[in-house]
Amino acid sequence: MMKTFKMYLEFTRKSFQRSAAYRVDSWSRIIGNIMSLGIWGCIWFALYHGHDSVENISFQSMLSYILISMALQGIHNAGTPLWEIQHRVRTGDIAFEMLRPYDYPLRMLFTDLGSISFHFVTAILPLYIVIFALFQPDIPLSASQWGLFILSAALGYLIRYSLELTFGLFTFWLIETGGVEDVFYFSISLFSGSVVPLWFFPDWLERLASLLPFQGIYFIPNAIFIGELSGQEIWPALLNQVIWLIICYGLLRFVWNKASMKIVVQGG
Amino acid sequence: MLKSCLRGLKIYFYMVGVSIKTQLQYRYAFVMNILGWAMTYAGTAITMWVMLYSFGSIRGWTFWELLFLFALAVLSWSITMVLFFHFHNMDEYIVEGTFDRFLVRPIHPFLHVIALKFDVGAFGQLLFSIVAMIIAYVQLKLNWQFYQWLVFLGAIIGGTLIQGSMLVLISAAAFWTTRSERLFWALMWPARNLMNYPLTVFPRFIQLLVTFLLPFAFVNFLPALTLLDKTKESFDPFWGFFSLPVGIAFFAICFKIWNLGLDHYKSAGS
Repeated sequence: MMKTFKMYLEFTRKSFQRSAAYRVDSWSRIIGNIMSLGIWGCIWFALYHGHDSVENISFQSMLSYILISMALQGIHNAGTPLWEIQHRVRTGDIAFEMLRPYDYPLRMLFTDLGSISFHFVTAILPLYIVIFALFQPDIPLSASQWGLFILSAALGYLIRYSLELTFGLFTFWLIETGGVEDVFYFSISLFSGSVVPLWFFPDWLERLASLLPFQGIYFIPNAIFIGELSGQEIWPALLNQVIWLIICYGLLRFVWNKASMKIVVQGG
Repeated sequence: MLKSCLRGLKIYFYMVGVSIKTQLQYRYAFVMNILGWAMTYAGTAITMWVMLYSFGSIRGWTFWELLFLFALAVLSWSITMVLFFHFHNMDEYIVEGTFDRFLVRPIHPFLHVIALKFDVGAFGQLLFSIVAMIIAYVQLKLNWQFYQWLVFLGAIIGGTLIQGSMLVLISAAAFWTTRSERLFWALMWPARNLMNYPLTVFPRFIQLLVTFLLPFAFVNFLPALTLLDKTKESFDPFWGFFSLPVGIAFFAICFKIWNLGLDHYKSAGS
């Protein structure tokens, strides 16, 4: 057990080192992240022009929301993108992964942890410390709120990871996922509350969003971070994340098992 | 001169025909690609709608006006994509040394790069932008006069030229540095996100930057002021008339820079 864990950690270490070698990549990603932040900051500032608070959310809260949301997105984006999984399936490299004595979905997760921790320590963390110092947004006030936020953010990461990998594996059947993929990305970006929090949704859409797994990715951790979700309300939200994580992970295992049976290697 | 131009065009259309045929080979992927692009843009439009649901307007722009602004940018971008998009990874040809081949062909290298691909996937965006624009036109009860149709036409051609020139300019960087794709993502992507919203949302220096230095404002914002009869903005609506001349001038400058780069180009060798 311990030995297996060590083996997976080795992947994390290697990927951490690899990230260090591709520093330009890291920088271009962080520049993109800052620009997104700037654009969304301006848009929300303009939207709030002439309003004190909308749906009981003040501009201060919204600014905090978008800051922490962009920081989380910066972390998420350092992970393996969907197209890399698809590329592996299309080129047939996935067959080699299956030959090796490890579990591919788990190995991917540990590899991602390496690049994410590199990106987090060298870029996201210093950058957002400066940004937070400049803008003075609402941050968690107690250690327990910090703890719950980190727990919720980690659950959110795992939910997105399971969903994205599951989706990537559909390439086994579809080969070309074009249109479906765009709907998937759109669902994530809208229903996760990545840029527009669920509070501002029309009621029927908010109800729909609350029935989907995506809100656990950004919306719940963000809401905990800025203190909109607090006290007793946190527990059902966390429970929602845990249940969805179990469902999504179950789905990932199911699809992975099916996909392993169905491997079609392109070319030769 | 004229003869060589005609010959160049003939070769261009031949190459484009081949490119379309290769893309049509995979029928399923072809349809999915078009659908995918249309849905991506529809997704952005839906996000805008959700965002404005509780707020009503952004800097005095309602959802339908915003949709119009967005669709106008997508319309010219879709034509840009068809004609110029492959400039964004021209650096690959330079790095791999295959660019040298273009230099010995009986067609100007610039035209050769243009003819490399004719991206039919962009029809998805064209489809989205036309549908979105018709809906916005009806919802806003617009009734354009003749001069406004001219401004509209100017915005499409000018917008295509401006965005195309940007791609040409970015690709020209590869002649000096051999790399340009990163520059594309760092410049073009945020610029296109900026264009989805009224320019007045952004700080003054950005407004000046995209009006006078990299003239993205002429792609959709300034013509939209004229087309939507918006008079209470920090720009007068007559600015919208200049899309076409600005597009032509900017294209001429960027083409010149591209050729300067070409003169400077030394093969990556192999």
